[in-house]
Amino acid sequence: MNERNVKMKLSVIVPVGARHADILELYNEYNAGVKALRLPYEFIFVVDGPQADVVMALEQLIDRGESNLILVCLNRSFGESTAIMAGFERASGDLIVTLPAYHQIEAGEIAKLIAPLDTADVVVGWRFPRASRGLEKLRRSTFHGLVTRITGMKLHDLGCGARAMKRHVLEELSLYGDQHRLLAVLADRQGFKVVEAELRQSSRDRFEGIYRPREYAHLALDVFTVFFLVRFTKKPLRFFGMIGATMFGIGALLVTYLVADRLIFNESLADRPALLLSALVVVLGLQVFALGLLAELIIFTHARHIKDYRTAEIIQYPQTAAPRWDAQAERESPAEKAALR
Amino acid sequence: MLPSDMPSTATSIYPKLSVIVPFYNEEANVGPLYEALIAALDPLGIHYEMVFVDDGSKDGTLANAIELAKINPRVVVVKFRRNYGQTAAMAAGIQHARGEILVTMDGDLQNDPADIGLLLGKIEEGNDIVVGWRFNRQDKLISRKIPSRIANRLIARVTRVNIQDNGCSLKAYRASVIKHIPLYSEMHRFIPAIASIAGPRIAEVKVRHHARRFGSSKYGLSRIYKVLLDLMVIKTLASFAARPLVWFWLLALPMMLAGTGLLVYALLDGLLHGASPSIPLAGSGLILLASAFFLFCSGALGELVYNLGDMRDHEFARLTQRLRSGRKVVAPSS
Repeated sequence: MNERNVKMKLSVIVPVGARHADILELYNEYNAGVKALRLPYEFIFVVDGPQADVVMALEQLIDRGESNLILVCLNRSFGESTAIMAGFERASGDLIVTLPAYHQIEAGEIAKLIAPLDTADVVVGWRFPRASRGLEKLRRSTFHGLVTRITGMKLHDLGCGARAMKRHVLEELSLYGDQHRLLAVLADRQGFKVVEAELRQSSRDRFEGIYRPREYAHLALDVFTVFFLVRFTKKPLRFFGMIGATMFGIGALLVTYLVADRLIFNESLADRPALLLSALVVVLGLQVFALGLLAELIIFTHARHIKDYRTAEIIQYPQTAAPRWDAQAERESPAEKAALR
Repeated sequence: MLPSDMPSTATSIYPKLSVIVPFYNEEANVGPLYEALIAALDPLGIHYEMVFVDDGSKDGTLANAIELAKINPRVVVVKFRRNYGQTAAMAAGIQHARGEILVTMDGDLQNDPADIGLLLGKIEEGNDIVVGWRFNRQDKLISRKIPSRIANRLIARVTRVNIQDNGCSLKAYRASVIKHIPLYSEMHRFIPAIASIAGPRIAEVKVRHHARRFGSSKYGLSRIYKVLLDLMVIKTLASFAARPLVWFWLLALPMMLAGTGLLVYALLDGLLHGASPSIPLAGSGLILLASAFFLFCSGALGELVYNLGDMRDHEFARLTQRLRSGRKVVAPSS
């Protein structure tokens, strides 16, 4: 462990959803793993929705004098991203670690997870080597292959719930929905340095059963989200416009063909279903295009709050007394202000 | 060059002029450009600063720039966390600059700092934006000059901002105007066009252009569809942003007419011939009508979006307006 990290405090957030292992056992395992790091730490368990057994077990732990443990109970199930943010609101550490509520990695590997934070801002776990069967392996490699293609980042295990990051990363990324899985991609977009850490897979990380179509739909949506976020967030018309213009073009060609047929070859127009099709395609193209314009309007009207870039620091010698004439400065994140010398 | 009634800027804590240069992997060009800037700016006798934006370079650009900052307090280096592209670099430079007049230029030595005085003079004449025109452009004809010529014609035609050379990075702005113009996505090519939202006085001056000496060009033939779509965005935003219903109405109108025509024709045709109306004809008419209606609703949604957003035309109008009270003409706040 680097000396610089010695005084860093660790906040370990464990979002406990419907799928979770025996919580006492899990806590003891993680606790032992984190304790071995010899850093000040705290555990924040966020119980996502009504789960009386988990709450009771954790309350007993607190009653027994576990002073490092904080329990946050959400009154309904909000999903993992929200649970992480709810835990983060209570976290006082400089380094934030999220761990899954079931056995994915060996607790002894947590050191490997936070070691790269010396230089990186975000570390995501990668269960390696990983036990899996043929079809699951294929599914996983297809998914990560797509994500790598779109983002250019080499990611192998977005499903791993073990992640570590510096505090200011979560301050800047406000996660919602299913974004916890895409944390690495989102952080990279904000200009944070993201690395993967190979962690030994827990021997109990077994997903019995088959993935339902719902999971596949989730993966597909994740890929689309990444695609859209990376390529088109600030230029929606590039996306909607491409689709819209293509459809409009196809429809227009069809209409031209039909009209030519009618005028030149005297083919009857009124009883051709192709007319319906072409009208539909033209109309759909225009609609999609209009949606793109609407999206551009949304971005434009919020452009004052959009900052396309993140500055690492402003360098000037000697430091001038003159304040920067900068309307934007008020909105700069605390991390950026701290970086101003 | 400076009007005599201007307050002396030498004592002001704010510089009169900020020169903004975005750099991306230009380690060989930082030093020579700095020398050229000093040589060009010192004789002007004004208080100036240089804002070097390092757009996440992977070579020694940042280190070279920091060395310059160490020996010259007029150099400010803005370091990005990673590469964000030229528009973002320009936007960051503009936001962090403190001068009254901002000059942007490329970091590849193709623009000549000696032209800055020329641009400055045009600003002093009362213009808000002065655009350089590379009239003897030193680039490849087929891959750079001809596409650029076509694009510029198109931009001028569509936006009605008549400029020969939108792509020239050497431009000067009145800070009070440009700092309030939203810059995002890949709009650096269209700054005069997007700034036209505020109705600025724009002038153009011929500037020198040199062939690249060090490093390599970062652009190729950019894809046409991007320019076309960006242009469409700028056109709609600049002319209709405050009235979304109008532009959706413009989209919906032809469809409504065509739809009504088809439907009426189908019904009449059916009635006159005593048969039931043709399904494809009537159906197409209905689809077009429904779509027109849907576009209308989108327009209403647009009004809602604009209403909740924080862009108002009167704020843009304020940027370039001239006030007159009594006999004293007040120049736009600068």
